[in-house]
Amino acid sequence: MSDLLDTFYKTFIYEERYLYFLQGLKYTLIIAFFSILLGVFLGIVISIIRDYHRQTKRLWLLNKIADIYVYIIRGTPTLLQLMILYYVVFRTSSLSPVIVGILTFGINSGAYVAEIFRAGYDGIDKGQREACKSLGLNYFKTMRYVIFPQAVANIFPALGNEMITLVKETSIAGYVGIVELIKAADIISSRTYDYFFPLIVSALVYLCLTFILSKIMKFGERKLNHGLSS
Amino acid sequence: MVYQVKNLTKKFGENLVLDHINLEVKENEKIVIIGPSGGGKSTFLRCLNLLEKPTSGKVIYHNQELNEKTYKTIQGKIGMVFQNFQLFNNMTVIENITLAPILNKIMSKKEAYQKARTYLKQIHLEEKERTYPSDLSGGQRQRVAIIRTLMMEPEVILFDEPTSALDPEMIGEVLSLIMEVGKQNITMIVVTHELSFAYDFATRVLFMDQGKIVEDGDKEEIFKHPKTERLKQFLNNTK
Repeated sequence: MSDLLDTFYKTFIYEERYLYFLQGLKYTLIIAFFSILLGVFLGIVISIIRDYHRQTKRLWLLNKIADIYVYIIRGTPTLLQLMILYYVVFRTSSLSPVIVGILTFGINSGAYVAEIFRAGYDGIDKGQREACKSLGLNYFKTMRYVIFPQAVANIFPALGNEMITLVKETSIAGYVGIVELIKAADIISSRTYDYFFPLIVSALVYLCLTFILSKIMKFGERKLNHGLSS
Repeated sequence: MVYQVKNLTKKFGENLVLDHINLEVKENEKIVIIGPSGGGKSTFLRCLNLLEKPTSGKVIYHNQELNEKTYKTIQGKIGMVFQNFQLFNNMTVIENITLAPILNKIMSKKEAYQKARTYLKQIHLEEKERTYPSDLSGGQRQRVAIIRTLMMEPEVILFDEPTSALDPEMIGEVLSLIMEVGKQNITMIVVTHELSFAYDFATRVLFMDQGKIVEDGDKEEIFKHPKTERLKQFLNNTK
């Protein structure tokens, strides 16, 4: 028992090591939050470009670029994307690793979010678009007022899953020297030669984060589904 | 002349659905299209609204050939009522009705709401204005859909089997609203299987089969004195 207390002390209290965890948590949260924002933004833009092209046959080039983007992102590991962005694309720039992390995870998530939205638009009866057309509504009004709101309500659970995946995936940011949660745990373990507390605490923190996130998404889902039961 | 249809042909793959159709529609005509399922009635109706593009031939609306460009200038003047209503499930009844006139700047929000309430009163749904479509019966939904079309002050309304998705006891309320709308100076074309409604409503009846207009005449000619064997057979079978 005193051994356990001793390790606990060495892991968290001694030399104020709990600060590593707090800092790790801070970066995990920052990266997760901004890359979710970036991912959802990119995903919506990409999905609308592709849908617009499908409906109107316009924007051929942009659509092609969007296709290639989704294809590349889905076909390569996230870790590789992170390393390429960090060691190749932004090697000579003075961009902070955290920004590179946000860009990587945001761009990565954007491709998956785009696919989720596409499934959402496809799930809406095409008669809804026809009704809009015969009421004289153009593509963007149809999208903005009819298709998008219904699609979002339908895909909310899938979107929640993607966000949870993203939060967990930020744990690879340590590879490019960002001290996020797992990197912090790693640093402490290397000093104390104990893995139990750092890893278990990291796991608990991730569980808390994803639990809160899924509660938020559940709440949003209930709000959005109002009136959409048929 | 509202419509001139010239040699309209529509193929889905190898399947010939409309076969060189020619037709002229005058202002304020009340046309009912009858015929067996798969005869091309709905596809023909959808060509009049550019929901289907002709494989060949033309649909001319007020001296202008319908295509994506000209269709934009028409903006809601060709209304459509669908078999499955197609109300917007994410909006209340009154939002459904007022969306298009407000977004198209045909009227202000205030005018649109006023007009919508007048219409809702006429169909005795004034208390449902904040209800979502999922809480309405099929008959109520279709009547709201008809009102939604009327709000755009259309010159033409196309009805694509407006009662086919309804429970039998709700068909009457929808048909009587269509009769009521028919008193206005609006050109109406209705695809339906309700033959007694067709008889009461139509100034002109088209019988379509196998992608062609087989007979075209007033209701006495079509229902009392059918000329072709196919129409006679069809009328006998539906009795």
